[in-house]
Amino acid sequence: MSGQTKMFGEKAFDLLKELERSSQTIPAFDDDGVRQVLEEIKAIFEENVAQASTYNASGDRSLWPLLNFRHAALQRNKRCLLAYLYERCKRIKALRWEFGPIIPGDIKQALCEPEVTFFNNYSKSLAAYMCSAGYNQGLPIDLTNNLRPPKSLYIEVRCMEDYGKFELDDGEVIHLKKNSQHYLPRAQVESLVRQGILHHIA
Amino acid sequence: MDPSIIEFIGEKCMISIIPNFSNEPLHLIYGSVGPFRAGFPVFVPLWMATHLRKQQKCRIVPPEWMDMDILEEIKEEEKRSKFFTKMPCEHYMVVAQLVMSTAPDDVPRCEELRTVIKDIFDIRESKLRTSIDAFIKGEGTYAKLDNLTLLEIHSVRPILPYSLDHIARYQRTATASQRDTSMLSASMAASSSGPNSNSLFSQ
Amino acid sequence: MSDVEDVPETQLEIDDTEGAELEDEDDDMEQITAQKVLEILETAWINEMCAPEILPSQADMLELMVSQVAHMEEQMRDLDKNDFRAVVHSMELERVRYIMASYLRCRLQKIETFTQHILNQEAGREPDDKRLSPEETKFAQEFASNLDEYFHKVATQYMPNQQRGEAEQRIVTPNLMSHVFLKANVAVPAVIVGVDDEEVDMAAGSQHIIPYQLVADLIQNNQAQLI
Repeated sequence: MSGQTKMFGEKAFDLLKELERSSQTIPAFDDDGVRQVLEEIKAIFEENVAQASTYNASGDRSLWPLLNFRHAALQRNKRCLLAYLYERCKRIKALRWEFGPIIPGDIKQALCEPEVTFFNNYSKSLAAYMCSAGYNQGLPIDLTNNLRPPKSLYIEVRCMEDYGKFELDDGEVIHLKKNSQHYLPRAQVESLVRQGILHHIA
Repeated sequence: MDPSIIEFIGEKCMISIIPNFSNEPLHLIYGSVGPFRAGFPVFVPLWMATHLRKQQKCRIVPPEWMDMDILEEIKEEEKRSKFFTKMPCEHYMVVAQLVMSTAPDDVPRCEELRTVIKDIFDIRESKLRTSIDAFIKGEGTYAKLDNLTLLEIHSVRPILPYSLDHIARYQRTATASQRDTSMLSASMAASSSGPNSNSLFSQ
Repeated sequence: MSDVEDVPETQLEIDDTEGAELEDEDDDMEQITAQKVLEILETAWINEMCAPEILPSQADMLELMVSQVAHMEEQMRDLDKNDFRAVVHSMELERVRYIMASYLRCRLQKIETFTQHILNQEAGREPDDKRLSPEETKFAQEFASNLDEYFHKVATQYMPNQQRGEAEQRIVTPNLMSHVFLKANVAVPAVIVGVDDEEVDMAAGSQHIIPYQLVADLIQNNQAQLI
């Protein structure tokens, strides 16, 4: 048996715990942990296959509980690992809603390559869906906007960084400079507020 | 459901305002409002009333029930009654809160009203807690909730349905595991008759 | 849609300019006012937020409303944006847009959570009973294969002995017995409210808490709505 001092499934459970505990938007993909879990799965499986043939040949029923136990350990490993990946997917999806179609550089470093692909595919599907949801009117409903019930058309905002020029729907161009304050249409600046570039002054 | 959504829904309530301007009727999707004649009351949705008030284009006329005598009576009735009494407005908390925060000057005895409305809400909330407690202990899965307003329902929204769902889940699991145990012993019995009948590593 | 009432027409114009009637291209359909469309959408939105499973899409109502919003925006173009009328109309349009966006988002969330389950169910439904719009179906299929591909690349391809049943075990299904708050729109006699076939007559306007599955049909035929 591999890892005599360790319990089956411990590493897989650790993966989940670490992800749950992390306060980051999304912690770095635990390449090493995932590999170890996959190895454990493979090892357990091979042991069981070997013993199953002994069992089948000898009919030694004392092996039965052990086979069952290993099988359960295998399933638990799979389950934890997939739960880990699924939870990461959920957070990756949330990135699309929060930051738009481009992942901020520092967050991108935390993703493994298949995750970046997942994000890009998701982003593309969502964009295509949003375009088609505007139906034949050529008027896409931007679902990533209007996230909260509207309270007022205009809001008072303070600019938190030097953002530069920002063009409003009516063509007016405003300069967003650090610490400048503006009175702007809520719907049009919602995403800047969400990204922390503008701060909504209550 | 986020509290801001409860407020959003409550903002559809119609309320009377006295505009200081005149205008033709407005044909909103939700229905027509107006005409507006300076100095004459007109009913508009609450979201519009609070906006116009902030722009100092109108005075809000507090709804009839926002009156000390009426509310004191409701409060006494609520105390006396075992059941929830019918509130004068389906969104009384949202309306009161929005009107009193946007236009305190338009509401006579605003502070007193605030207190009595809060009292009524508290009495109802505590009644709600007691009945939920009895309901769950009685292992109920269905209940009638007449006269509760949306905000009050919302105040028990996560906890009540979730706990009922959990209880139901435990009950189902209990039934299922009883079944599983009997199935397991059956399959163990079957496997003893032939070593190839287990399915754990087939294929 | 045959049960849509023939409500007296609300005028939809802003000024004295000619307003558009909301008329579906389908001649068989009765005329429906924008007000009625909004009511239907609002109810569908709240039902969708409260129901554990995905409900039939209101794509046709949405389409009517999107064109109504576009029409009103068109008419407002000439108004000064600080004009009292322009401000009030824009505020209302913001509210309508929020309802539509929130409704569609809520459905997407369910589609993402119960993807495979929803696709399987859709596959078994007649064309007239489909619950997803064609756009949603496309999104659901893409999402399912995207997620599968990710699982495959990172994990499942390295897992020995993938049993056929395992992918099925991963299918997430909604708990249809979860409890919901309900308001009866009309009097509904003899609703079964418990596992032991206990029955209750629901009065119009009465409110209840009850497992969703027992009232799912009342919601679909609009005898009751979730709150």
